[in-house]
Amino acid sequence: MAAAVPDEVVHQLLAVIQANPAGVSNEHIVKQLPELSGEQRVGALNKLLQQGMLDLLRKGEVLFYRVKDPKKSTAPKGADNEEKIVYNIIEEGGNKGIWIRDIRLKSNLNMTQLNKILKNLENKKLIKAVKSVNASKKKVYMLYNLDPDRSITGGAWYQDQDFESEFVDVLNQQCLRFLQMRRDAAKEKRDGPLLTKQMSCCSVKDVHKFISELGISKVSLDEDDLETILKTVVFDGKAERIMLANGSYVYRAVEQPLPPPGIVRTPCGICPVIKNCSTCGQVTPIVCQYLKDWLD
Amino acid sequence: MSIQCGELCAVIIKQYFGENAQKVADLLFSSGSRNLSSLVKATNLTKAQVSMVLAVLIKFQLVTFEPSFSNENIPEYSIKKEAVLQMLRYPRYVHLMHTKYGTVGSTLTEELLRSGSQTASQVILKCFSSAENKDTMAAYRDTFVQMVRDNYLIRCPMPRITESPVIIPVLEIEQHLLFRPPDLDLGKLQKLQSGATTEVPDGDSYWRVNFDRLHQDFRDNIMTTAVERKMGASAAECFKYILQQMYEKTDAWQKDYSNPITFIEVKQAIEKKSNNLELMKNLDQYITLIAEDNIGFIRKIGETGGGQYVVEMKKVFDELSQVCTENIITEKFGSKASRIFRVIRSKRFIEQEDIQKEAMVPSKEAKLLTYKLFEEQFIQIKTIRKAGGGGSGPAKSFFLFTINEKQIVRMLLDMSYKALFNAISRSSYEKRDNKRLIDKSQKLDSIVEAMKERGESEEYIAEILETLTPPEREVLEKVKARIKTLSSAELAIDDTLFLFQMHQYYNSS
Repeated sequence: MAAAVPDEVVHQLLAVIQANPAGVSNEHIVKQLPELSGEQRVGALNKLLQQGMLDLLRKGEVLFYRVKDPKKSTAPKGADNEEKIVYNIIEEGGNKGIWIRDIRLKSNLNMTQLNKILKNLENKKLIKAVKSVNASKKKVYMLYNLDPDRSITGGAWYQDQDFESEFVDVLNQQCLRFLQMRRDAAKEKRDGPLLTKQMSCCSVKDVHKFISELGISKVSLDEDDLETILKTVVFDGKAERIMLANGSYVYRAVEQPLPPPGIVRTPCGICPVIKNCSTCGQVTPIVCQYLKDWLD
Repeated sequence: MSIQCGELCAVIIKQYFGENAQKVADLLFSSGSRNLSSLVKATNLTKAQVSMVLAVLIKFQLVTFEPSFSNENIPEYSIKKEAVLQMLRYPRYVHLMHTKYGTVGSTLTEELLRSGSQTASQVILKCFSSAENKDTMAAYRDTFVQMVRDNYLIRCPMPRITESPVIIPVLEIEQHLLFRPPDLDLGKLQKLQSGATTEVPDGDSYWRVNFDRLHQDFRDNIMTTAVERKMGASAAECFKYILQQMYEKTDAWQKDYSNPITFIEVKQAIEKKSNNLELMKNLDQYITLIAEDNIGFIRKIGETGGGQYVVEMKKVFDELSQVCTENIITEKFGSKASRIFRVIRSKRFIEQEDIQKEAMVPSKEAKLLTYKLFEEQFIQIKTIRKAGGGGSGPAKSFFLFTINEKQIVRMLLDMSYKALFNAISRSSYEKRDNKRLIDKSQKLDSIVEAMKERGESEEYIAEILETLTPPEREVLEKVKARIKTLSSAELAIDDTLFLFQMHQYYNSS
């Protein structure tokens, strides 16, 4: 039946559908191509669907046809049906990836078969396995050309599942340095206390600009990334976060309101075994090595 | 009252009043209140000894007494642990009075502290005769009166005068007498000084140091320093005037928040007393700055009089003790740990995984630090169990980390008690261990002093001094340095203790 449809008709139909990326309904096609008979139309659509050029969508009761994204539609050529199914399941997972267990459940294939298919697809460089940062043993599959989502890679802070704490520390220091520079500059101007305070506040955008110009980061960082870093500066007690009237936040370097407490200037304040310390036994103030080292 | 605190009180009492007093104090501490006969029985001391100890402790306001519940004719004694702990602060009190009233003030304070409570004439006479006589007696009298006027000294309550003799006197004093300066007759004082006996007009009124007033100064100092560190010197000066205005109409130890102060009042006070031009020009800005700060020193409550503000002591000390806790955590476990602590504090309840995400700490390190903090009881776990499950499959529950500020303060107070106890017992150990040397050097010093007075030859003195051999001298120097470090440590720890005590005061109901 499909052979009865001339190629021209198929092309015409494809052009109509391509003109509407959101998809077209059957009625729309009828309006656009009134010369087509119902049989021809159905035949052409079937052909396109078979070739995997179209997606069939449903909106309420009405069926819509949409051209598949040419990027996505690199459906495996010469693949058998099982491979196609698995490929489609993985495709649905998008850049978040999909766990092998979920693939098995959805596809109803058994484990050995599925493993074989996955290996095949991997060899053909159609899909790839990505390790998740949250659970290092858990592998997820996604299409080969996709960039893994942040929740999988952990964003800019992870390099091959390892958290780059040095990188974070350097950024933390630089952000703090920038805030302090701003504060000192504001102090020098002597424009009254409130203005000084206002000028020492920095928005995330300012910090982002400063860090990008500094060029310390090989990875490109966006403002959200820097916001997380700035929050760590706040959690270090070295800056405060102020909400503006429009709901956005600014950051400002501050001093600690108290000098280091007296107790930590003595060995007992930082003693790791103070719980065991008493007048008798192994740990007493008389034989204490920490006290002895400190006193001499 | 913890065991730690009891042990600390015991060593303090022992240091100041000797072993007998310590025995009595220990008993009083452990049993709340006791009568004389049970104290005698339990301490194995004679009745005279126990009475003596009690009398001394009462004179120093460390022990109070009241009629027994069962028999009105038997007094029961109880100890005031706060007062005992305050004895550690004596050097700080003297220092503060030195900055306020100079040497005269500090000698007067020292003398009063040493004797617990005393009549004004006695104190002045004693100071006058022991000092190097650079100041006149009038200077001592004036300073004494001024200190009373500034409420640093307070009149002790006296036994109520009744017609029939009572077994247990009731101490009382009328409010208006508390800070009324004593009548001091310089002429009679001079006579006493020269050895004659006369009656002084103030023989029946005893005075003591008003600790509350001194603590008020310490407390204000903590707050002003905090303002200065955060907002600069001018803001601190402004805050000082705000506090002054507050005292005009608020009791110094009122909890929660003060009565309102208006902008105009502060402005007038500053215009009268301050010569800080920058502060005067930007006064409104400085006040807004202080009010906007996240510690919340003052809070705006209305627009009357250019803006009405209240001082929120409770909030300030909640925040400051929190900052202090964070500092201690930083020193004990590193800055990452204090970051985690702050994350938990700001989120109230948080799961382990979210902690590492917020704090940007590698998961292994984050877990290690969080569990370490949990082990040391700086944070707590709240478990939320999911209903249902009914034994089928693993029970799913959430473990949320959270912070209990009051509990942390109690724990840190206990730690401070222990640290103080350690410092004192270590220093008395050093003294005991080198008693022979210390005694020897003291003896030598007095001999040399006497020889100098007699005008003996330099050579002879040098020869006597050499009896203390160089190695001995070296050891002695070392011990002295150690004792000095330990006593400065005591003061440093007391700083922290004071802050936490303030927190407890404002959080007690």
